[in-house]
Amino acid sequence: MDYDFTTLASFTINQKAFLATIILGVASGLLGAFVVVRRIALVGDALSHAVLPGVVLGFVMCHMLGIDKNPWVIFSCAVSIGLLGAGMVRAIESTTRLKSDAALGIVLASFFGVGLAMQSGLKDYIDNRAGISTYIYGNAAMISDADLAAMFWTTFVLVVVVWLLIRPLLVVSFDSGFAVGLGYPVKWLNFIFYTLLTFSVVVSMQAVGVILVSALLITPAATAYLLTDRLYRMMLYAVGFAVASGLLGCYVSLTIDSADVPTGPLIALTAAILFGLVYLMAPQHGVISKSLKVFRRKQRINRENTLKAIYKMLENEGFAHDGVGLRDLAEVRKRSIEEVKLDVQRLRKSKEASFDDAKSGIYLTPSGWRRAVEIVRNHRLWELYLTNQADYDADHVHDDAEKIEHVIGASTVRQLERDLDFPVLDPHGKPIPSVSQTMAQQSDGGSQKGATGY
Amino acid sequence: MVDLRKEQQVINMVEWIERPFILGAEDVFYLVMMAFFVALPCSQLGAFLVLRRMSLVGDAISHSVLPGIVVAFLFTEDLSSPWLLVGASGAGLLVTFMIEMIHSKTRVKQDAAIGIAFTSLFAIGVILVSVYASKVHIDADCVVYGKLVSILDHDSVTMLGYDVPKPLVTSAIVAILTMLTVIVCYRILLLSSFDPGMAASIGYRPRIVHYALMAVLSMVVVTSFQAVGAILVIALLIIPAASAYLCSHRLKVMLLLSGVHALISSVMGLYLYVWMDCSFAAAMVVAGSILFLFAWFFGPADGIIIKAFHRRSISLGND
Amino acid sequence: MNIPALETHDLTVTYHKRPVLYGVDVAIPEGNLVGIIGPNGAGKSTFIKSIMGVVPSSGGWVKIFGKPLKESLHRVGYVPQRESVDWDFPVTVMDVALMGTYGRLGLFRRPGKKERMIASESLDKLGMLPYANRQIGNLSGGQQQRVFLARALAQDSDLYLMDEPFAGVDAATEAAIIKLLQEMRENGKTVIVVHHDLQSAQEYFDMLLLLNMRLVAFGETKDIFTQELLHKTYGGRLTVLSEIAEKAAKQGKDVQP
Repeated sequence: MDYDFTTLASFTINQKAFLATIILGVASGLLGAFVVVRRIALVGDALSHAVLPGVVLGFVMCHMLGIDKNPWVIFSCAVSIGLLGAGMVRAIESTTRLKSDAALGIVLASFFGVGLAMQSGLKDYIDNRAGISTYIYGNAAMISDADLAAMFWTTFVLVVVVWLLIRPLLVVSFDSGFAVGLGYPVKWLNFIFYTLLTFSVVVSMQAVGVILVSALLITPAATAYLLTDRLYRMMLYAVGFAVASGLLGCYVSLTIDSADVPTGPLIALTAAILFGLVYLMAPQHGVISKSLKVFRRKQRINRENTLKAIYKMLENEGFAHDGVGLRDLAEVRKRSIEEVKLDVQRLRKSKEASFDDAKSGIYLTPSGWRRAVEIVRNHRLWELYLTNQADYDADHVHDDAEKIEHVIGASTVRQLERDLDFPVLDPHGKPIPSVSQTMAQQSDGGSQKGATGY
Repeated sequence: MVDLRKEQQVINMVEWIERPFILGAEDVFYLVMMAFFVALPCSQLGAFLVLRRMSLVGDAISHSVLPGIVVAFLFTEDLSSPWLLVGASGAGLLVTFMIEMIHSKTRVKQDAAIGIAFTSLFAIGVILVSVYASKVHIDADCVVYGKLVSILDHDSVTMLGYDVPKPLVTSAIVAILTMLTVIVCYRILLLSSFDPGMAASIGYRPRIVHYALMAVLSMVVVTSFQAVGAILVIALLIIPAASAYLCSHRLKVMLLLSGVHALISSVMGLYLYVWMDCSFAAAMVVAGSILFLFAWFFGPADGIIIKAFHRRSISLGND
Repeated sequence: MNIPALETHDLTVTYHKRPVLYGVDVAIPEGNLVGIIGPNGAGKSTFIKSIMGVVPSSGGWVKIFGKPLKESLHRVGYVPQRESVDWDFPVTVMDVALMGTYGRLGLFRRPGKKERMIASESLDKLGMLPYANRQIGNLSGGQQQRVFLARALAQDSDLYLMDEPFAGVDAATEAAIIKLLQEMRENGKTVIVVHHDLQSAQEYFDMLLLLNMRLVAFGETKDIFTQELLHKTYGGRLTVLSEIAEKAAKQGKDVQP
């Protein structure tokens, strides 16, 4: 097998279809990133439905001119009608009390309706009915050489313009008031942006179909949004996801036997599945990593609460013993023995406590002791801060401190110490322990003034 | 062929107006009534969607009920089975839930969440339709164009001596039920659309009202599905309400005018259908859009011309 | 006579058919730190926005350093309200600061080493350099405001218009900002700030502009911060003015401005 890659003619239908999905992935990924961060996803949807009458008009014009189906005629008709639709949305918004959602809905519905009426009513003027129906659901296998060339050059123009204007487009999307202040021609930039958006819709409509073009615009870009904090990177990722969903969807549609399944829905579904995977797995913004974080925090708080309970039990006995019993701990923590056993297991795992089976006693390790003191110290410092500096009543501060003790860091603690002038006793009269002291020192006489937690 | 059309233009107006009746007076009446009974409940619910700024949620729901309908149909194999309502409502609630899960758990905003949710469900629906094309009596074309005219081929029920097609009876019942719901819940819908905070404070739970509205909407969408397909439903929802919004400042009048819009666009749609020989559903939408353009220009409450006139009279007054 | 940094004549703005600003005549001399003070809904932000052309004005003119806005746009820096942008937007602190240099670059040129230096220096001045690679949404309110100011600093303008830079920031940021503004004034810049807190206004600004739908007074803080003028601005709703506004709005119901 030897291919001559210089001419399209030598490509098989499948190769052309794949080439087409790569091109449209680039177009819709680039613009989709802007669409998602500008929160105009549904404008994309409306625009993609609104180009249908343009497509039909293109077919009719080809017929009237007596030429074969010409992608350039169809593209330019579709772009003009798409821009007309965008203009009409603006006109409705600015001249009536109707809000943007209704304006979008009206343009989407009426343009699409007109397109369908034209398509079904002007049968006699449309040479190739099968050709036109691919524009509704999309069929990558129907893309001809001429179509491919038109798609390529349109995307080429789109990429060049985005590359040249990327900074102005970024500023206009982020802060259009500031863009006005910079002296940018904001109206022109927006016009260019909507023209490019229409370009990307037009490029994709043959393979994906006008109904689902917005899926390729929105979903890959939203997927990318979950993975990065930089717009430029987001654009790259969006292109990657769009190309990947295009190729995969196209591959499935070309390989399954029941050839009636259109390409568009398969591509849209692949994009959605990719989104679903990233939605669950994304390292920072994914649902799994988020709930894992919540779970870990809950575990830590539980561990810290156990340590605190042990410390308080030791404190109540004047630090006479160096360990506490399992049963006593269960009573203090108001839990069953089994639950407390599990808690202690976890402490042993984190090397914060040891457990003596023979005496059924729990002993804090040095690191466990340190953490326990820290927590108790945080708690009592915060209580004192609330009563002294924020004028809380002493009986109102405990619940708040229960939460705060787990979150304040070293710097806040130092700040509190300074503000409270290195206090010794909490508002309830209990000593505020010092972290540097060992258990033995603690039992000797509590902390002295001037001691710091760190 | 072109000559033929020119000849047709010469034929007098009466022929144009009588043209639809080639189909037979009864059938013409059934078609118009079917169109009207589909458009009427849509127009009433659409009014609240427009007021709640949720037009595009309506679009999302109308697209996403498709997989619900197809799955229910695969089990029951009957397009008029009540299970279709269940399936569709399930899909409708699923899409609302998906939208919520995406935009509350991530930083993806609501508009993109809507876009992701409904396109994926609609894609699944179309794939199911095409894979089971032989088993399902709906095909991909029906999803786009609807099959309003096909009601004439259905079984019919004899009522008052007429053979009324079954689907017409079903949609009439749905239309009446929806009208009753809107009349009974008028106050709740009005208040919760205008001021959800106030509505909540007197015990109308906004969330429940929201989900109830979505459920009713899904049912109406299902019954319209067969007639106008999944995509043009948005036109029946939004365009009458938006046109009425430009003609009146009062909700009751707006609801009434939406109904009138539904009626006129049904009749006009029939004429366009016969004259242009195109899809009935699309013809209805074109008729509705023309009415919207009229309202946009001439609407007594918010039309362009009335406003231009006002501006003129004010600037004259100031001089 | 020096050319004023900012001069407006009969500046009038109508907003959704409702007049919000009436015939403001003011000439602000160069090199001052000016506070715009007035009650809620007095049109303070609108005043700044209409100067910048973000909100179209329905009458009057604006001159900046004696020239219309278009010609002296490069000498003006505008700091919008913090709430006006989407802080989830995928850009970093550095990206935002760099935007300040875009005005000089025109539409097509890319920022180079020099622009990066300027942006880093501006961030450093506000203590935000350590956060340069953070996404802007991960910042506290005060830090976000500092980034906005760093962007303005990178613009290196002669006249700055700032919309509520002290809104919702912590005390440390407030102190840092006011120090920066005073420093800017020392360097001969003119800074005009919309401010909502009367108490601090007296100590922060050299000059005050009292605004309540129309200009109440403008001048040196010591002359302006009087019981009488403040009462005129805040006390007693401007019955006649708002009545007329109401009437005009009703008459012009559904009439576009």
